[in-house]
Amino acid sequence: MTFTGEFLAFMILALVAIIGGVLLLNLNKVVHMVVALIFTFISIAGIYVLLSAEFVAAVQILIYSGAITIIMLFGIMLTRPYDESEEKGSRWRKAFLFLGVVGFGFAVYIGIYNFPIDQVPTTLHENNPMQIGKAIYSKYLIPFEFISVLLLVALIGAIIMAKREEKGAEEE
Amino acid sequence: MVQDLLQSNPGWGQFIFFFITGLVLLLVVLGFVTFSILAERKVMGFMQNRIGPNQVGGRWGLLQTVADVLKLLLKEDIIPKVADKPLFILAPVIAFAPSFMVLAVIPFTDKFQFADLNVGLLYYVAISGLTVFGILLGGWASNNKYSLLGGARATAQMISYEIPLVMSVLGVILLTGSLNLNDIVHAQEKAWFILLQPIGFIIFLIASTAELSRTPFDLPESESELVAGYHTEYTGFRWAFFMLAEYVYLFAMTGLITVLFFGGWLPLFGFLGFIPGSVWFALKFCVVLFIYLWFRSTFPRMRADKLMEFAWKILMPIAIANIMLTALIKSLFF
Repeated sequence: MTFTGEFLAFMILALVAIIGGVLLLNLNKVVHMVVALIFTFISIAGIYVLLSAEFVAAVQILIYSGAITIIMLFGIMLTRPYDESEEKGSRWRKAFLFLGVVGFGFAVYIGIYNFPIDQVPTTLHENNPMQIGKAIYSKYLIPFEFISVLLLVALIGAIIMAKREEKGAEEE
Repeated sequence: MVQDLLQSNPGWGQFIFFFITGLVLLLVVLGFVTFSILAERKVMGFMQNRIGPNQVGGRWGLLQTVADVLKLLLKEDIIPKVADKPLFILAPVIAFAPSFMVLAVIPFTDKFQFADLNVGLLYYVAISGLTVFGILLGGWASNNKYSLLGGARATAQMISYEIPLVMSVLGVILLTGSLNLNDIVHAQEKAWFILLQPIGFIIFLIASTAELSRTPFDLPESESELVAGYHTEYTGFRWAFFMLAEYVYLFAMTGLITVLFFGGWLPLFGFLGFIPGSVWFALKFCVVLFIYLWFRSTFPRMRADKLMEFAWKILMPIAIANIMLTALIKSLFF
């Protein structure tokens, strides 16, 4: 295997993503977990850049930075400050969990290692945003419109629920 | 030359080249921050019938900021006992790093640009959104009510004003047909976008002032209500990092406005083309910067409840209407 810059970048990004995920599960304070989550999401965006999907990478950061801040705010507001979660479970349970994780990793490794992926030459790296735009507005127009209607329904639903709650509070 | 370097095989040569150019840019930015703080104090002084700094470094106080920075670096580094130590240390770094990262895509002249990204504009918006984490974490890690309030205010404000900010540049993107900042500059050879997109420009200017959290929108750090907002507990160089991030964003945002609405390095008239592009960029940059300094000494602070209403009920509908209008104009005349 040749040692290229792309390989190096991929290894760093993948490591940061995985370490972020592991820390997310292992840290004790809510806000620390969210910080680990930030690192995971940003390194996934970096992996998108390596795959020549710059547009998706930028959108990933744009959307998730907003989303994560909201999670963090909820984490701060809904938990007591400096609240630490306690460790549960016995030694046996941990051992079984570890076995399960190893088994799962092994199964996935075998499944992926021999999975035939045909390398199709693409032109995705040229003018990536324009290609995405053309695909969305011609080939995938109807799914795109369905998604926008779905989001609109969700938005209106959220507004109605918020309004109703306010009225109920006034009557009380 | 940079283009060749970007597409060649990786090696120590490129690493050293980019490292040194990045370092030079960092030093230039630090110099800018030093003198923009001085300029801000001087301009505010003159507008309020004061003199401003005039003791250190001659009549114009040229070394005042340098002395201030030295003082900050020499200060005792205090971390409060009940603060969350790792995040307290990490927060200024998270706040500063993206502010320097966004400078990579801004084309200072047609040849001097670090990364010619296809999604340059989107990259700027996305990366600059990351600073919010640093501010919120700094506010939370300080374990202080005022800091947390400041952080929460900053988060709400930055997330809300990002939406009109992005929507107002959609008009520019529509007229250019590209997210690449180089293409956007080249599209302004006939007319600057401030003439074609006056509504978009005004919305962008307002929303960017809010993103920079400068006065009328400096609620996250309003000293009269929140002591100092999210950086109340910070001292010394950690505090300097927050301030540095703020002024580097001022630099980046001024550069972005110059590129988006004032034609970047392009000359004012065709026959003035003999003046180099960097001079044009610097001139326009100074004009835009002066507008920001002017704002700061002119407007009073907004009320917190009016702030959100202003973003969602006034700026956003106007921005959407501007997109519709631009689409109409483009399909009729271009």
